[in-house]
Amino acid sequence: MNAQAAPSSKALIQVSNLTKTYFNGAGAIEVLRRVDFEIHPGEMVAIMGPSGSGKSTLLYILGLLQAATSGSYLWGETDVLTLNRTQQAEFRRRRLGFVFQACDLLENSNVYENLEFPLIYEGVDRAERPGRILEALKKVNLGHRLYHSANLLSGGERQRVAVARALVNRPQLILADEPTGQLDRRHGHLVMEHFEEIAASQTAIIVVTHDPDIAARCTRVCPMEDGILRGLR
Amino acid sequence: MRVSLRQVVRHRRRYIGVILAISVGVAGFISIITMGEDVKKNFNEDIAFIGGVTIIRNVLEIRPQYPLNKFHPETVEAIKKIPGVDVASLVGMTRVPGDWKGQVEFFSVGAVDENFWRMRGLKALTGRLFDAQEVEERQRVAVLGTRLAQSLFGTDKVEGRTLELEKDIYQVIGVVEGLRDINLDKSLFVPLTTGIDRFSKQLPVDRLYVRCATWDDVPAVAAAIPKVVKAHQSDKNLLVEVSWENLANVKRVAFWIEFFIYLAFAATLILGGMGIWNIMMAAVRSRTREIGLKKAMGAEDRDILAQFLTEALCLSFVAAVIGVALGRILVELLGFWIGMRPAEELFFTCLAISLAFAVLLGVGAGLYPSLQAARMEVVSATRYE
Repeated sequence: MNAQAAPSSKALIQVSNLTKTYFNGAGAIEVLRRVDFEIHPGEMVAIMGPSGSGKSTLLYILGLLQAATSGSYLWGETDVLTLNRTQQAEFRRRRLGFVFQACDLLENSNVYENLEFPLIYEGVDRAERPGRILEALKKVNLGHRLYHSANLLSGGERQRVAVARALVNRPQLILADEPTGQLDRRHGHLVMEHFEEIAASQTAIIVVTHDPDIAARCTRVCPMEDGILRGLR
Repeated sequence: MRVSLRQVVRHRRRYIGVILAISVGVAGFISIITMGEDVKKNFNEDIAFIGGVTIIRNVLEIRPQYPLNKFHPETVEAIKKIPGVDVASLVGMTRVPGDWKGQVEFFSVGAVDENFWRMRGLKALTGRLFDAQEVEERQRVAVLGTRLAQSLFGTDKVEGRTLELEKDIYQVIGVVEGLRDINLDKSLFVPLTTGIDRFSKQLPVDRLYVRCATWDDVPAVAAAIPKVVKAHQSDKNLLVEVSWENLANVKRVAFWIEFFIYLAFAATLILGGMGIWNIMMAAVRSRTREIGLKKAMGAEDRDILAQFLTEALCLSFVAAVIGVALGRILVELLGFWIGMRPAEELFFTCLAISLAFAVLLGVGAGLYPSLQAARMEVVSATRYE
């Protein structure tokens, strides 16, 4: 199933000359080299590359989880790299959704509680939360798992809950780091189906993956090697 | 708050040791402060019986240059009203001839009022001790020291027996125990009024024993007595005796006991605080990934700080509440044991102090770990294994 809508012509983000360099005793290590790209609402972009190519670093910088060494990252007219820590947190919870490889759910919490945290941080009224949580869970066909303990879910269900959690604050960009890396083929494609439906509602998605089959389901595929990103722009 | 409480409840097994340590400290603090004065008073009484350190002995000495003197009733009443005086007892000691199995025997007789027993902490071994009414009615009753009872009757069970003193028959109503002075233990005691009536010629009512409420009152009471006596009668042959050396020894022992008790509870509370610190540091470390995840979800530094600080506060507050409950039980048990009822206001003051202390402990011990959690870099936290 491919439910993707045509991407909007106006760029959601524009990245220019983005670099990331680590300094250690042996010298400088350039992880990202002058990365330039833009992404539009509704686009689903796959970043592919070998381990150590810098794709996860790029994803973390785009998620403001890590600082860039230089360059600009425009969201509309705002260079979000200049935001302070509090503004960055606000940006993450209002604009972004994250899905990590390790199916990161909060243990000792149920599905509802896992999805409630972003809403708590956003200050969403308690009465409004159950509706929002159920809405997000239904998008990944897990409405019936509302009060199940996270520990008791299968791997595929955990990752779909993670996708629902990324959606609950209605983000404009979802950043997914190897979202199917720990899933079997069937569950991996199930997650991608959900991504396609999400992208259809004009939410942009960036997926970091090793899997060519997964990448093939995206609008664009951008290979990355030695910190250089190709195929975008 | 709800999230933090949930975390504390879900990790209760991890926290139970710390909560118990703080609870014990708080319970100890409450019971010591609430019952402190009563326990001290009780302790004073016990010590007083051993060393007599809270008893001030006032004697109107017989001196050649002064006429015979005795304590006037108004002097005794005024001394009883000196702040810090627990009880005062007027005593006259003399030797009285009596008839015992057809022979003349001289008995050591103490003419005492009804306060004498309480002043010296005495109890009846058998029978009973005479009371205020019998003193008031000048009854001819006698209480024997244990040695005298044994030497006369060969038993302690002498209630109902009689003794003849100066041709008057006295009914023996009991045997008193607790007299540490051998001479007193070989004496018999009659009501002061009876003694004054019957043995007035040879009975000098020249001793007034004053027991203070606590040893802290002794110096002030001892200083006030001569002034009070002087205000009511001649004080020229007054001798005020205090066991200063014993008093100093007892106070020193009590200070160290008190000091070590406080030290023990302070140590418990400090250990509790360190426990919170340690357990929160461990919690921050073991929940690094959770912190990273929450930051990725949009939690600000202050959200993470608030969460961990609230958890630390919840720990110390729950511990304080348990401690207060334990403290209340301890206070009730101690009150029952020593037969005293502490002031409710004091308990509630302690309760407020304990809760305030718990908040301080929680903030103090939880702040650094919470700051560590709040300042954590997101990317390293999310990648933490």
